[in-house]
Amino acid sequence: MIRTTPVRPTPWDGQPYSIKRHGVTITNCDSEPVQTPGCVQAHGAMLVLRPADLTVLQASENTDRLLGHRADTLLNKSVQVAIGSDGEARLKAFFATEPTDRNPLYAFTLPPRNDVPPLDVTAHTVDGVAVVEFEATGRTEAGEPDYYALVKKTVTRLQSAKTLQQFCDLTSDEFRTLTGLDRVVIYKFHADGHGEVFAESKRADLDPWLGLHYPAGDIPEPAREVFKQIWVRPTPDVAGELAELVPLTNPDTGRPLTMTHCALRGASVMYTEYLENMKVTAGLTMPIRRDGELWGLIACHHYAGPKHVPYQVRAACEFLAQVVSLQYQAAEEREHLVYRLKLDGTHQQLLAQAARDGGLASMTEGRPNLLDGMAAGGAALYHHDRWWRVGTTPSDAQLDALGEWLNDRPEFASPTRPLYATDSLAQQCPPAAAFTDVASGLVAVPLSRLNRNWMLWFRPETIQTVNWGGNPHEKPTVPGPHGPRLTPRRSFELFQESVRGRSLPWLAVELDAVARLRMLVMELVVSRAERLADLNADLTHSNEQLDAFNYVASHDLKEPLRGIHKYAHQLLEDAVIVDQDHRRKLSGMMRLALRMDSLLDSLLHFSRVGRVALATEWTDLNEVVAESIEMVDARRSEGPPEIVVPRPLPHALCDRVWCREIFVNLLSNALKYNDKPQKRVEVGFIAPDEDHSRSGCPEGSAGHTIYYMRDNGIGIPARHFEQIFKMFKRLHGRDDYGGGTGAGLTIVQKLIERHHGRVWLDSTVAEGTTFYFTLQGRVGT
Amino acid sequence: MPVTRQTPFVLVIVEDSDEDFDTVQEAVDRAGFPVEVFRAATGGDGLTVLRAQAPNRPTLVPMDLNTCGIDGREALAAIKVDPALKCVPVVVLSTSANPKDIGFCYAAGANAYHVKPVRHPDHVRVLVDLLTYWMSRAVLPSGERTADEK
Repeated sequence: MIRTTPVRPTPWDGQPYSIKRHGVTITNCDSEPVQTPGCVQAHGAMLVLRPADLTVLQASENTDRLLGHRADTLLNKSVQVAIGSDGEARLKAFFATEPTDRNPLYAFTLPPRNDVPPLDVTAHTVDGVAVVEFEATGRTEAGEPDYYALVKKTVTRLQSAKTLQQFCDLTSDEFRTLTGLDRVVIYKFHADGHGEVFAESKRADLDPWLGLHYPAGDIPEPAREVFKQIWVRPTPDVAGELAELVPLTNPDTGRPLTMTHCALRGASVMYTEYLENMKVTAGLTMPIRRDGELWGLIACHHYAGPKHVPYQVRAACEFLAQVVSLQYQAAEEREHLVYRLKLDGTHQQLLAQAARDGGLASMTEGRPNLLDGMAAGGAALYHHDRWWRVGTTPSDAQLDALGEWLNDRPEFASPTRPLYATDSLAQQCPPAAAFTDVASGLVAVPLSRLNRNWMLWFRPETIQTVNWGGNPHEKPTVPGPHGPRLTPRRSFELFQESVRGRSLPWLAVELDAVARLRMLVMELVVSRAERLADLNADLTHSNEQLDAFNYVASHDLKEPLRGIHKYAHQLLEDAVIVDQDHRRKLSGMMRLALRMDSLLDSLLHFSRVGRVALATEWTDLNEVVAESIEMVDARRSEGPPEIVVPRPLPHALCDRVWCREIFVNLLSNALKYNDKPQKRVEVGFIAPDEDHSRSGCPEGSAGHTIYYMRDNGIGIPARHFEQIFKMFKRLHGRDDYGGGTGAGLTIVQKLIERHHGRVWLDSTVAEGTTFYFTLQGRVGT
Repeated sequence: MPVTRQTPFVLVIVEDSDEDFDTVQEAVDRAGFPVEVFRAATGGDGLTVLRAQAPNRPTLVPMDLNTCGIDGREALAAIKVDPALKCVPVVVLSTSANPKDIGFCYAAGANAYHVKPVRHPDHVRVLVDLLTYWMSRAVLPSGERTADEK
């Protein structure tokens, strides 16, 4: 990787960078080109070759000491000059067969010549050049330890770790055994970039660093970037010399060499000074990575002078670091297995409960609820346009504002895991400072994108003491050739700081459980919508079946009825039948057939009243009453009745046609069941603000206009008040009072119910009856 | 009084109930027109009879809706999309007063819809009225085929 040109002008502008020349001019660690340092650590030597013919393009300035030839004498010569024809042949074969791109591999060991000791040769290619590194061999006459067996045992031990802490403790122990360095720490990065010594293995006499925190600046951004690309970084001699490349840039391309993958890559002055301030004399660092992100570092430090870790050991470390990267998540999962099972179990119960109740209210109000799984102080759900809260949470108004703020969080744009979690909400959302006591920590997931429905958990502030390894706010500078320059901190004395506005951090296992719960809730919502659609389909089906029944009632039952009537009629017309008794029975048969016909008609009408959609509109009831009088044909009956409307009726929200049927039915009953010489009917209303008490209105009807129809008819005994509304129930003989099917009041009641109204009555036998009703039509129902 | 006619009117009656068919006969007799009656007990038979009688220009098809097999609804729809038959007036006679049925029949091209009364004399009167109307008042399509029938 080539670093982009720093934005700020640098002292080495216009000329290639070299730590040796410019290293002490750095004023900002984040701009140092650590991947193109121009220098190697002088304990080894480097040749940069043109891959096609293995001609030397660049050489480190220390080749005379290590390879027996001055750098300038090697340039433009075949590599054979430096390593002999045998070496050249092996190198050629090596590049031809090995996967060397950005992948340094051990090629062979160069045998000792004259006063030059045997050297391990590692080689790789990068950006179109071949890079060959030489360093003292780790191979001895006695043979090497079996690194494979060693690493295998280590891996087995790591897999048995029950907690992440145990896993990291083991890791630090194993690396110390493997490398022989004095101290190994597992350095864990926090979300804000600062780090913490999470595990440590050390020589007994050294001061412990375990639990100490270090500011983010201690490991600058460029260094972190490198650790996302390499698996091992040796610094065998912190105080060692640097050897510059000759020339500094590739003569073919004019570009500096990318040394990211080189074991010999020269270390930044800031880094070596930092280590020196800590009295560290040699170091070896490996990354712990997760999904390409840096989780932490395995940092090995030595205090007793230079410590060269040979290639084979570094390869073992590299392999082990990869194993650790893969396994630490598993260790973390093992640690939280019980918690995870409890969380998932509770969340399953929540879901089952919500599915049973048909709503999410039980998630905050039921047992269990959202707080029984997660370790949190409070939880809230925004659903059906309101907050449902449980435990200690911010107020509704604060939640509203928080919901607004959450809407703009970029985390929710993720299609796979829209989840936001923080342990210091007020730092990112300043208004939340008002409720750090209940919600310093927040986990938020959306239940829908459009309706802005949220599921939230809160954690209270926990005042924590952080033990810093040295004051993190100290930014020491020393005078340099270009003004004051930043230097690493010199003091690593314990510096205690208490942190406010922060909750205990959310665990990965908790966030995973939240993400899963969210999926389950969304599935439930979707399946409820499907169920509703199914129910609607069922309902449509039922209505169709009812229609089919009507059909049977009207056709299949009426057809035989027509036949019966016809034969009775024909027999009666037949002159042969003269017996009066027989003729009376035949007439009866015809009458019954007709009666059954009208019962069927009423039944059909009643079922239609129940099913047909209302066309609700504001209707002038005065017109409706006038039409009803017309239809009942009251004016033409003998002894015309007196129909009084004391004051104009209001407009009502109702279906005009069905409403007319209510009045027609009541009116015809009022006239039919009346034996007074002067029949009188009064149609009126009681406005919502008038006294309802005398109407005996049922609950829920006060506050609505009550309509009434009062007659001076025969009256109804109170014990029959309920029966009169029953289908086909008649209080009088079949043919008394003009006959009828006994469906009129049943239909009236049904029609009023369809208008969400109530009907009731008051009556005194022989004096008259008053029917009351309300109409609470709704627009479009 | 009906006009004397050399060729009788041709009635194709679709009716599965013997009682109801008998009532139609009674009404035909009472109406007093020269009529040749063909009966089909199902809508499907009705179509067959109608196609066979097409050259005789059937006057009217009184059609019951609910028959077994291909019912009156299907037969009505088939008649009204058949270029050779669609000019023949079809009057529906049904027990059903269901607005859905009434709507369907008119939409399918029925020329009238009648609900059969249960009261026998009423039933006969409805039939006599409709026969009289179609045979003496209505102007029936002529023997010439219209352009769109070709």
